Amino acid sequence: MREHNTLGQTLQERGISRRAFLKYASYLATLMALPPSASRVIAEEMAKAHRQSVIWLSFQECTGCTESFTRSMSPTLEDLIFDFISLDYHHTLQAVSGAAAEHAREAAMKANKGKYIVVVDGSVPLKDGGVYSTIAGITNLDMLRDTAKDAFAIVSVGTCSAFGGIPHANPNPTGAVAISEIIKDKPVINIPGCPPIPEAMTGTLAYLLSFGKLPELDASHRPLAFFGETIHDRCYRRSFYERGMFADSFDDEGARKGWCLYKVGCKGPIAYNACATLKWNGAVSFPIQSGHGCLGCSEPDFWDKGGFYKPLSAATAGLTLGVGGAALAGAAAGAAGAELVRRKKAAAANAGKKEG
Amino acid sequence: MRTHDVTDCCPQDMTGLAEALVFEIADLLGEFASSGKGGAIDLRGLPMTETDRAALAERLGRGEVQATVHVSGRSEVWETAYAGVWWVRHLGPEGQIVAEQIAVTLIPQFLVSHPDDVHVAARKLRSECPVIAPGTSAEHFERGEGTHA
Repeated sequence: MREHNTLGQTLQERGISRRAFLKYASYLATLMALPPSASRVIAEEMAKAHRQSVIWLSFQECTGCTESFTRSMSPTLEDLIFDFISLDYHHTLQAVSGAAAEHAREAAMKANKGKYIVVVDGSVPLKDGGVYSTIAGITNLDMLRDTAKDAFAIVSVGTCSAFGGIPHANPNPTGAVAISEIIKDKPVINIPGCPPIPEAMTGTLAYLLSFGKLPELDASHRPLAFFGETIHDRCYRRSFYERGMFADSFDDEGARKGWCLYKVGCKGPIAYNACATLKWNGAVSFPIQSGHGCLGCSEPDFWDKGGFYKPLSAATAGLTLGVGGAALAGAAAGAAGAELVRRKKAAAANAGKKEG
Repeated sequence: MRTHDVTDCCPQDMTGLAEALVFEIADLLGEFASSGKGGAIDLRGLPMTETDRAALAERLGRGEVQATVHVSGRSEVWETAYAGVWWVRHLGPEGQIVAEQIAVTLIPQFLVSHPDDVHVAARKLRSECPVIAPGTSAEHFERGEGTHA
């Protein structure tokens, strides 16, 4: 394959027609909540683009994000993303290559100066000079700074890189921090989740490739297309929350009838993610549909939120509920509800720190 | 198809979204008929259940045209019983729906051959044409001189 080819030329040489672009663009438009008319523009722009250089850095992480990104039981439409990007460096996948992999990273940085995307999974330890996580003798901190300096953008995949994740959880022995706390002079996109939904990662990368700019982000630098609503907003069990019909314990009558899981610890009201719509494993299911409450894994400090099986309201005892007395059975919509959500988050985090 | 039961919960229940969409499609089709300005509705962006989808498909019915496209899995495109209203469904290799829309148009762009692909096909077909040897009946035929026994 000649590297100077456009994507359209590259796929044509492999006998793949432009219809593949249009199909992928339709898929992407749906993922990114773009109007159907955008798919044609996306397809045309992608066909004219060149393969995007991507350097993937893995720091304090469990490899779950890479697993999510690459997992497929059979080739899927998402696999097209691997035709659209040039994964020039991936620490975990290239581990056996040793020094040659590091040379590949440096060569890709030089050849694509100012244009490559850095994808990071895992947090970065700062304590004791960052010695708690090193690659090829280089601290994560030094490697991140060195690699990011000529990047076009940084994409932090997974809650560890986006917000610190489990390494950052109380008592945070390594001084782990999020990528955005280190990189201040480059655009940073956060795609949190433990792990993130695969489509959230591939869709964001494809958006960058198609439009050459960042998608619309929320205050936590998360793409609004995937993190614009809470799980609670789109949960199919929402009507039971409104009616005050809850499972009190796992496998009781309410649980078996599929009622709301708020009382058994669901963090859906404070978790912004797309699990309720995109779902997992090829849109098969998501935790709530499988009978387990949302962990809130796309939120900062979700490990320290007071326990996965304690309801959000357990941390608000003594707080005045300002939603018209609706309490557990009431609607969480409106400014009063949103304020209560914010106060619950803060109270749960404080309760978690005390217990830790 | 069962409607939503307040004491039970199933993600496959009918929500009534199908009937609401019929109104929206009617508006789009009316606009298209009068002004030529088409449109599309992304079904995957809506909280449709399988029952909703089946109800909408039954309501819109099937017309004269149906196509299966084999690219990155399978895609199915059919014109509904209402001319100009097309159902475009993209499937992954395991048959799961990855994108789906109702397109109000003369013919969905997905079915139209792209000019770039046509150029490539033209070059390919020309290169695969047999070389015509001089003095053969095929050469005479090319010149419009008729065939020779």
